[in-house]
Amino acid sequence: MISNPILLLIIGPIVSGIICLPLPDRLKGITKSIAGIISAACLAGGIFIFIEKPLVWKYMDQIIFRADNLSSFIGMAMTLFTFLITIFSFGSTDKAFGRYFGYMLITLGASLGALFANNLIIMLIFWGFLALMLYLFINLDQTVCSAKASSKALIIIGGTDVLMLFGIALVSAITGTLSMDKIQIPIAGIMTYVAYFSIASASFAKAGAMPFHSWFPDVAETTSGSFLAYLPTSLDKLLGIYLLARVSLDLFKMTKISNTILLIAGAATIIFAVVLALAQRNYKKLLAYTSISQVGYMIIGIASGTVIGIAGGLFHMLNHVIYKACLFLTSTAVEKKAGTSDLDRLGGLAGAMPITFAACLIASLSICGIPPFNGFVSKWMIYQGIIESADQGGKLWVIWLSAAMFGGALTIACFMKLLHAVFLGRRSEGMSEVKEVGPLMYMPMLILAAICVIFGVFAFKIPIPILILPSIGNSLTYIGTWGSTLAALLILVGIAIGALMYWLFRPGSFRVVDNFVGGADPESLPRVSGMEFYDTITDIKPINRICKQAQSGWLDIYYLSARAIKVLARPLKRLHNGVLPTYLVWCFLGMIAMLLFLSLR
Amino acid sequence: MTALLYIFAFLIFPGLLFSGSMGLLVGWIDRKVTARLQWRVGPPWYQNFLDLIKLALYKETLIPSGVSGAMFLGMPVLALTSATLVSTILFLINGSPRTGFIGDVIVVVYLLLIPAVALILGGFASANSLASLGSSREMKLMLSYELPFILALIVVIMKCGCAIRLGDIIMYQRSHGDIFMNPSGGISFFVMLICIQAKLGFVPFDMPEAETEIMAGAYIEYSGKALAIFKLARAVLLFVIPVFLITLYFGGIKLSLDGLVKAMIEYLLILILMIVVKNTNPRVRIDQAMKFFWGVVTVLALLSLALAYLGR
Repeated sequence: MISNPILLLIIGPIVSGIICLPLPDRLKGITKSIAGIISAACLAGGIFIFIEKPLVWKYMDQIIFRADNLSSFIGMAMTLFTFLITIFSFGSTDKAFGRYFGYMLITLGASLGALFANNLIIMLIFWGFLALMLYLFINLDQTVCSAKASSKALIIIGGTDVLMLFGIALVSAITGTLSMDKIQIPIAGIMTYVAYFSIASASFAKAGAMPFHSWFPDVAETTSGSFLAYLPTSLDKLLGIYLLARVSLDLFKMTKISNTILLIAGAATIIFAVVLALAQRNYKKLLAYTSISQVGYMIIGIASGTVIGIAGGLFHMLNHVIYKACLFLTSTAVEKKAGTSDLDRLGGLAGAMPITFAACLIASLSICGIPPFNGFVSKWMIYQGIIESADQGGKLWVIWLSAAMFGGALTIACFMKLLHAVFLGRRSEGMSEVKEVGPLMYMPMLILAAICVIFGVFAFKIPIPILILPSIGNSLTYIGTWGSTLAALLILVGIAIGALMYWLFRPGSFRVVDNFVGGADPESLPRVSGMEFYDTITDIKPINRICKQAQSGWLDIYYLSARAIKVLARPLKRLHNGVLPTYLVWCFLGMIAMLLFLSLR
Repeated sequence: MTALLYIFAFLIFPGLLFSGSMGLLVGWIDRKVTARLQWRVGPPWYQNFLDLIKLALYKETLIPSGVSGAMFLGMPVLALTSATLVSTILFLINGSPRTGFIGDVIVVVYLLLIPAVALILGGFASANSLASLGSSREMKLMLSYELPFILALIVVIMKCGCAIRLGDIIMYQRSHGDIFMNPSGGISFFVMLICIQAKLGFVPFDMPEAETEIMAGAYIEYSGKALAIFKLARAVLLFVIPVFLITLYFGGIKLSLDGLVKAMIEYLLILILMIVVKNTNPRVRIDQAMKFFWGVVTVLALLSLALAYLGR
């Protein structure tokens, strides 16, 4: 039984994680070795399963775990990110090693369990377990803020888990089975809609899509970047979108209405989240909001109902995890060296941290969808999916396309602000001693940045045919043209010619001088941190209102439901006045009501 | 072998050398018309070439202290490269619309974003407060025009039966008539024209540079070769963006005598319209520009979209 590779890949990290948990900080060498070896072994296992797929593990003739094209490629990605972030964490973590690496390994095992589960109840168990791991992870620092953020995350994710349980119960009632490979429900009638959206809500909460997004920015502000790169960004995002793809493509047969509801959610997620990101003043929180916004693209891709859109959505999921993990790792590196993630206080670190800056720049250009990086290819595919849906009778494609394309421009604005505030512009005070991080930290960042380039330039040779196409089991026809390799070659030629121009024409004519501000002392001008760049936008009336409402919790389902419960509970609260005769009267009235009910029945 | 041919196309014709020279000549038309509108004589046709040679060969390239030199010097190159790539794509596809080359209309739109992004990053990399301000205005300007720009583009895609390959768009217009001739296409063309005015940083949307106010903004620290490359990138853009409009709205450039003459007339009309707008309007503030683009221009774009929905 234990020789089954899937089972081994799930149980192995959980057991070794539990072994790591009690290890004290003075045995950090042992903890790190276990984490390093196990995560490397898991990566090997992930690759093995990807090559050997399809694999199953049966118990009493029931398929409990199943690795097919889709889950095996996501599983391999999960193990890769775990390995890279473990290596990064060797350099970035400085306390609670046992618990940190223990949680990491247990989370990996649980994520793989949820991913490979073929039985819906088994998936739900692992899924719920992940919510607990998230809670424990956030509480690693044990501050007041992290306690608040963790309970919010637990309530939102736990709440949607309950919804998922309800959805699974409905699915079981409709089909009489819990095996995912046997379920194929055409969405028709209210029960199937409820079942579908109950399960989809859990995937929305995990992936951080609106309206279940609000836990992510709060968590981002209070926890370390390496954790953010790991759980909410890599594993949860992959799992959330995996579940959405699984239920939308396999378990249910989507209709126009269900797709349209998803498209609305996707488009709203893209625009609202990125507008909120514009106003952020914290490195990690800005990344969290743009992360939410990017989930909108994946949802739109999957909901477009076209093969190319679905492929684009899945590819965007993978790309997003790559560059966002890289970005969160750069935030950790900067926070470790500069001591803050407050964008007001950072600035001009490009010279001091050139490698971190290069990784951040590449990842930023990728998320902005600048060709020839990977983010562009997946967005381009999603756009084609939207346009193609028009041929299949979609009337509203113009709205989805303009939201997606304009969201891209807003994303560029966010990342220009981020790059300026952290790495470019004038060096802020107190940042003169900042140095580059060590190789343990910069290597994972560089590897992720390199994958961004490779997946962009060789998109049609490596990731799409090897990873994406097998998972959707269909061939792709593009309605557009993108010669990524040739374009990259020409861009390289252009850059080489540029370098030649600098070098050829009178080398040595470069001179380093002080800033020029019209003859005045450059220091006399106030330093521009970049935080006020978009005030012009956030001052415009409707946007102004959205931002204000968002700040007061208007877009936060946690806050809204808390208020709703408060209002609903108000009359009940009044009854609890602590006066004994009142309680007696209620008991008496209740008894009369019951008697009446029983006698009149 | 084909790769070498493409590199030749990229570097010589219709790429860097051709579109760069044409851009400088078009820049001369701009200067000349502007001068005539202001009752001046204007420079000779080769003035822009002289300016560029002077900057590239005889002027020092100054780098502000404490900045990332690679970033500061690399951004102009990036801007020039992407502008040249757009020019290569557009001309090769106009030459033979049936063969796809590198990119479709979405790719071109994204490649056209790169010069703006490069300018913004170059300005930020200068570590100069005025450059930062200029770059932030460029960013906001980009956000402003991008919304109506996308909507106008969608009108074209919609009119051509959801085609996004540039060759398909050209072929569709050759068999069904120019998109400009439809009411929706006409409105969408004018929306696009206004957006282009901002994309090129022409008055009234030159607030990212605003010489009299923030001393050329993002360009303030650029000199010598780096500035020359930026100027060349702008020249290429000035040459190539009207070609992009002709491709989208006037059926592209047909390789025949009357086709070339038609394209030339359309080109000059677009150019002179932009120059006249440039010379008869004062610079607006960035918030005014944003309200203008997200207000009137977006409403116009939506109108053309509505007309396109109705099949007009």
